[in-house]
Amino acid sequence: MPSVQSKLPSHQAAVTPSNMTNKIDHPQLCQWLKLIAVNRDKQAFTAVFKFFAPKIKRIAQSKFNNEAQAAEVVQDTMSNVWRKSHLFDDSKGAATTWVYTIMRNVTFDMLRKVKANKEDNLSDDIWPLAESMNTEEETFTDHIQNRNLKGVIETLPENQQQVVKGFYFLEMSQEQLAEHLNLPLGTVKSRLRLALGKLKIKLGDHHD
Amino acid sequence: MIKHHPKFELLQNFVNGDLPASLSAGIAIHADMCPQCQEKISQLTEQVAEASFEQNFLHKFVVDDEDMAEVAELEFDSIIDEITASDDIESVKIHNEGPSIEFKGSEYVLPKAIRNIELGKTAQIGKLSRARLQLDEGEIHTSLLHIDPGGSVPEHTHNGFELTLLLAGSFTDEQGEYVAGDFIMLDKRHQHHPVSEHGCLCYTVANDSLHFTQGINKLLNPIGSFIY
Repeated sequence: MPSVQSKLPSHQAAVTPSNMTNKIDHPQLCQWLKLIAVNRDKQAFTAVFKFFAPKIKRIAQSKFNNEAQAAEVVQDTMSNVWRKSHLFDDSKGAATTWVYTIMRNVTFDMLRKVKANKEDNLSDDIWPLAESMNTEEETFTDHIQNRNLKGVIETLPENQQQVVKGFYFLEMSQEQLAEHLNLPLGTVKSRLRLALGKLKIKLGDHHD
Repeated sequence: MIKHHPKFELLQNFVNGDLPASLSAGIAIHADMCPQCQEKISQLTEQVAEASFEQNFLHKFVVDDEDMAEVAELEFDSIIDEITASDDIESVKIHNEGPSIEFKGSEYVLPKAIRNIELGKTAQIGKLSRARLQLDEGEIHTSLLHIDPGGSVPEHTHNGFELTLLLAGSFTDEQGEYVAGDFIMLDKRHQHHPVSEHGCLCYTVANDSLHFTQGINKLLNPIGSFIY
């Protein structure tokens, strides 16, 4: 698990006028997104929200000419940011590009609902957000640490691998994994426990 | 080699999300086959994103109208609470090969961009087979058009625009030969007569019927809307 340095500003810092410049602080945005992905950090999310939401609202208002729909774009976009932050990969592009893609996709699907009365949500097929997640291989290419770990994980039985990968690399909860794999929660827990026991032996005790 | 690409303005509108689904999907399919356009699209997206989220226009909002800002802030807090109330994350969908479609015994895997669009029944006239994509975009019709080896579309012009994106195989018209990935956008200034010696599959988008221009084919005009 990559450790992320927390450098959160006080609650208001991100929106005080004195802090306003035309430059976007990209490293800061990336860091917030990582904190959301790794720690489900609500304070980081609040900071991201306050940076993007007013701008998204303004852009949406110009597209829909309608307050309620603009608010819906803000809500849907930011909710996607919260739920998909683990898919953000700063080696593939800026945080602004990632959030823009989500906003544009949400807007596109909503406009299609209004204009063609179709709820087919085609945007993610037209502009895939998580291209790199299409193959498992690419999920793990980022950190050398992960790569070593991956080699060891692959020595586990297939059913334990699934659980370990979901839990550690995709940061799914045990409950989510149980649902995703269509298994009883108890089974997920015991597979994870078995797998961790084996990993500890193979990696040595300094990894925990 | 791909020689025909979407114009810059089209790419821009694509990135902005301003094109109908039919054309957006066409550009996405082309970009998947054309690294050059893919790269342009990434760059454009990055620029548009940067410009969209620059902070300058916020000065007015925050500084001039503090009451408004306060109200907005309160609203935001409740939305933040609502969103973060659940820790669920979007599970990763691993996409296998998309669905495929069969024309005259040949099977084609559908491009990613259109794999979830409902297809109508395949209709045939001679060496042409057509399956309509059910996009419900009014006068804009989107289809998969298959031409059997040796088949052709009679010489025609277009009352509106006509996009032909070659997905597989090849065809030729007065302008030369086209290969898979070519993105051919024509309007009523153009007149052409595509012939496919070895057969091909195209993704087509047109906003009006074809208009056949030559001899006996003029009799075909009522079916112009059938083909595209």
